[in-house]
Amino acid sequence: MDSEEYSKSLEEKFHQYKIGVSINRSNPEIEVNHEHLIELAKKLKKDESYEILMDVIAVDFLTYGDVDWKTNDATNTGYSRAVKPTIIPEIDETFVERFAVFYQLLSVSNNRRLTLKVFASESNPPSVPSLVDIWSSADWFEREAFDLMGIHFDGHPDLRRILTDYGFIGHPFRKDFPTNGNLEVVYDEEKEEVVYQPVSISTRPTVPRVIRDRND
Amino acid sequence: MGLETDNDLIDQQGPGFIITSVDKLVNWARTGSMWPVTFGLACCAIEMMHAGAARYDTDRFGVFFRPSPRQSDVMIVAGTLVNKMAPALRKVYDQMAEPKWVISMGSCANGGGYYHHSYSVVRGCDQIIPVDIYVPGCPPTSEALINGIIELQEKIKNEESIANG
Repeated sequence: MDSEEYSKSLEEKFHQYKIGVSINRSNPEIEVNHEHLIELAKKLKKDESYEILMDVIAVDFLTYGDVDWKTNDATNTGYSRAVKPTIIPEIDETFVERFAVFYQLLSVSNNRRLTLKVFASESNPPSVPSLVDIWSSADWFEREAFDLMGIHFDGHPDLRRILTDYGFIGHPFRKDFPTNGNLEVVYDEEKEEVVYQPVSISTRPTVPRVIRDRND
Repeated sequence: MGLETDNDLIDQQGPGFIITSVDKLVNWARTGSMWPVTFGLACCAIEMMHAGAARYDTDRFGVFFRPSPRQSDVMIVAGTLVNKMAPALRKVYDQMAEPKWVISMGSCANGGGYYHHSYSVVRGCDQIIPVDIYVPGCPPTSEALINGIIELQEKIKNEESIANG
């Protein structure tokens, strides 16, 4: 059964979950509402034998489609591209179709891979049901997605930060997080300990330049 | 070595003793056994391992890597220092016995390097601990690190160790 036939059969089998099936690099990709995620995941594991959850990926669609590097004009001092001050967007608290979570599934017995795509809820914080009870490998993947993107996984047994500093504020992989961060560490000679202070450098977009001779 | 033999004295009384200043003797002893605490943080640590292994063999200089800061004289900060690691780095430095020196190895330890504009990286380990020698490179070659060690030896030789306690 080729991937197109397989996608169609999946669509028929799980039509009660209102899924959308597309083909991504010859593997089916299923988009499902977060309300139906748990049921569908259980079915995929049991009936389609996707035994392994390979990876969980979180995506921030805030600036999706904005082209920073497109340029229409070039002068003798350089290009206009990638120098917009909007490189860091304003903090956006509306989460309509902003965060999506992708689950990469692998079926060893059928030699198949499948992608599950779920948009997080539009609440603050955005949330997605946890899949730890179905695939235990989701545990640290979901902690990572929570740490870096701020997506809450409802039902996760231990949703703590996993990578960033103790007491870190914010979610650094969000598009509206400043690249330089908000705090930096220095050693305080008087207190004799490492302390936090507001970050001392500012964002500096790189200005690409073309160096030409004066006479051209 | 900084040790001087007095040929006249040897002529008069036969061989068997040398004279020198205490400073030079102490500094000679210190440069001959600089034991670094292994603080490998990233890819620079691989080059540091090469320097310590058979081909470059820092044992020739009396440089033996120690697993404990209590037994170390030098700290080689090899790699990217992140905010989360900074208190641990300072703690290990504080645990080292005086006198102690620091070699900052590679761009990241020198000034943040590639990650200078990152939200999680210390912009140079000299924000946290005082540094004696900066070895540039990304990563520096083992030869460059050994050159840094030799430069540190030269620096120690010029210290007035007795006057400074």
